Amino acid sequence: MHASQFNQQPRTGARSLILVLTWAFSIPVTVIAQDSRAGGKPVPFKKYAQKIAQTSVKIDMLPIPGGHFVMGSPAAEPKRKTDEGPQRVVEVEPFWMSKTEITWSMYDVWGEKKDIRRRELLGAKATKLDPAADAVTRPTPPYTDMSFGMGKGKYPAICMTQHAARKYCEWLSAKTGHYYRLPTEAEWEYACRAGSKTVYHFGDDVSKLADYAWFSDNSSEQYQPVGRKKPNAWGLHDMHGNVSEWVLDQYHKSYDPEQTKNPLAVPGKLFPRVVRGGGWDDSPDWLRSARRIASSEDWKEQDPQLPQSIWYHTDALSVGFRVVRPLQVPSASERRQKWDKTAPEQKDPPTDTIE
Amino acid sequence: MTQPNRRTFLKSSAVAAATAASIAPKAWAAGNQTTQIALVGCGGRGTSAAKNALRVEGNIKLVAMADVFKKNLANSFGNLQRIAKNDPERLDVAEECKFIGFDAYKKAVDLLSPGDVVILTTPPAFRWVHYKYAIEKGVNVFMEKPVTVDGPASRRMLELNKLAKEKNLKVGVGLMCRHCEARGELFDRIQNGEIGDINMLRAYRMAGPTASAASGKKPEGISDLMYQIKRFHSFLWLSGGAVSDFLIHNIDECCWMKNDWPVEAKASGGRHYRGEMIDQNFDTYSIEYTFKDGAKLLVNGRTIPGCHNEFASYAHGSKGMAVISTAAHTPAKPRIYKGHKEDAENLLWSFGRKERNPYQLEWDHLIEAIRNDKPYNEVDRGVQASVVTSMGRMAAHTGQVVTYDQMLNCDHAMSPGIENLTLESDSPLMPNDEGKYPIPFPGLVTEQEYEEF
Repeated sequence: MHASQFNQQPRTGARSLILVLTWAFSIPVTVIAQDSRAGGKPVPFKKYAQKIAQTSVKIDMLPIPGGHFVMGSPAAEPKRKTDEGPQRVVEVEPFWMSKTEITWSMYDVWGEKKDIRRRELLGAKATKLDPAADAVTRPTPPYTDMSFGMGKGKYPAICMTQHAARKYCEWLSAKTGHYYRLPTEAEWEYACRAGSKTVYHFGDDVSKLADYAWFSDNSSEQYQPVGRKKPNAWGLHDMHGNVSEWVLDQYHKSYDPEQTKNPLAVPGKLFPRVVRGGGWDDSPDWLRSARRIASSEDWKEQDPQLPQSIWYHTDALSVGFRVVRPLQVPSASERRQKWDKTAPEQKDPPTDTIE
Repeated sequence: MTQPNRRTFLKSSAVAAATAASIAPKAWAAGNQTTQIALVGCGGRGTSAAKNALRVEGNIKLVAMADVFKKNLANSFGNLQRIAKNDPERLDVAEECKFIGFDAYKKAVDLLSPGDVVILTTPPAFRWVHYKYAIEKGVNVFMEKPVTVDGPASRRMLELNKLAKEKNLKVGVGLMCRHCEARGELFDRIQNGEIGDINMLRAYRMAGPTASAASGKKPEGISDLMYQIKRFHSFLWLSGGAVSDFLIHNIDECCWMKNDWPVEAKASGGRHYRGEMIDQNFDTYSIEYTFKDGAKLLVNGRTIPGCHNEFASYAHGSKGMAVISTAAHTPAKPRIYKGHKEDAENLLWSFGRKERNPYQLEWDHLIEAIRNDKPYNEVDRGVQASVVTSMGRMAAHTGQVVTYDQMLNCDHAMSPGIENLTLESDSPLMPNDEGKYPIPFPGLVTEQEYEEF
């Protein structure tokens, strides 16, 4: 991807939650982002549907105002784990977030090369951005059906490694000309809470959880189509349950109290990393706003091949992701040093065995 | 799965199995001999089989490796080093015990003693060649499925296996679903009549592109033979293609539940999306098998992305139905329903417990049989499953009804002279001037699956 695809924006500090809320919701069509594809033409910070060229797929994106919130859970919260702290006030900058988890329809354009194949076989027209998008690595074919018979289309994509989710974002960015990435853990929790300080974004009453979430009690032992339960206060669906969602961060047993602005635990090793929100096979306490779930090598247990694929967690049947698009696009060097930084590098095993 | 239940169970059940195994085999425990393993065929599946071997409790170690690609072997060794990092003594393969070439299998087997095990995980065309040598040397064998892909090799394999049984060799075949405890309980329940007489079975493996089943033209710098081995799912002589390699598990588990093998097959299939691909596979296969009592087994295989995905097997009886496997191979989550709909209110039985990994169980069982000198030979059954699978494939590729006996006695030898191949050899299947290979033409080429001109 070319660095010049994203225009860096002047930083508009989001110090005041009230100010930002006013900004985002009271003043329509406030010009604060630019669309590189339109040659720098300003675009408003409001909801939109991201189309994916050569397909009918759209990703609904909602504006999430920047602001401050208390990240983590209080010591008195029932079922609290010690890794949900220390609680601290964290500031995050504004971003758009996908209204739902990324579905198989959205994911398979990339994974199954639907855009490329529709150009080749149906004569769909290429865009100027397609050469860069086609240059992004796509996953090797899975050894088996990664939906495990639970349905595709409107159901959330699952069983991808964090590497695969990151690469999807890289491809989506190249394909659309907007900078998409996974949320940070802080952005995720901020968006999930949507101003709430309670156990769940709708309050503390677990008996209401089934109105908002698919989990072990009501999921019929499989994931469900996205967006069928009530959203949170900011319009986001399935933040609790259905599938847990990848964030960018390395998992550490506690939060870094020094990092309070746009915090991110840049990952330096493959495991454990973080998923949030809980999934269809989890019990209610795993769905709490503050609950953290650490990824594990065991999520590849049933991959029968060695080396195991860098693309699939064959046992992570309730792990998916959603995407964010930061309002202020970081520079190429900021992305390299922070937002897109990850190690070790993930490479497919050599396919060329000629020797 | 985000909660650790399954993993915790796997760990504790492995310990339980290990404890049971270490109590039972007195003869072995007294001698405390180390079982030595040689790996012949260091691809992904072979490496993973070696991993399972090294996870068996008790004294066991890998001592030799063989492949035709140096890089394959090096990658495999590197991966096993990571697997064995806590038991480095289990990976005891000196540089001089790593062999490259079409005769490498002999050198690896020669390092074993009677009682040891050779893993045969090359493409199945080589299976009988390697098995023959293992039998001569009197070593036990674990061989990956399928075990044959054509009639001549199937007949040869059955002959060879008589010798193996005379020598009391223990031989496992990688149809690991047969070792699944959940399916085992379902089998008992079906045999006890819980779904009545089985009238129909259904099996599906419908997903996107799988393994090396679709291949473009051979690049420069590699011979036809070596390219084909690299892309072995693309070539019928090597692997039996997408039918033999991908569908055999679901076919086999259905036949297990029926407790019989079908007598004939008719089938259809075609190539819609192959484009510039040069492999011999179809995109889609539909096979109807008939058992001698007239019951049917319907099998659907497809490797087209974006279509309905299903990877499961079902049995329908006069009283109800059973889900044999739910999605992929494990966990199977077998269930029995009243009637023919999978409604929760009709559920009569489900295994309901965490399932141990059958890829590990097949190794635990083989090594236990070796240590306790129990009869253990899965080859005849493996050949039968391979012939049944091949007969469905041939029915699709020729457009004809193919019986079990016709398949077994079919004289189309797909890999003549395979035992004499060298790194410099031509392939048994050479491309034409355009770099293309013969593909099946149902109704036009009917006596065998493809013809070379």
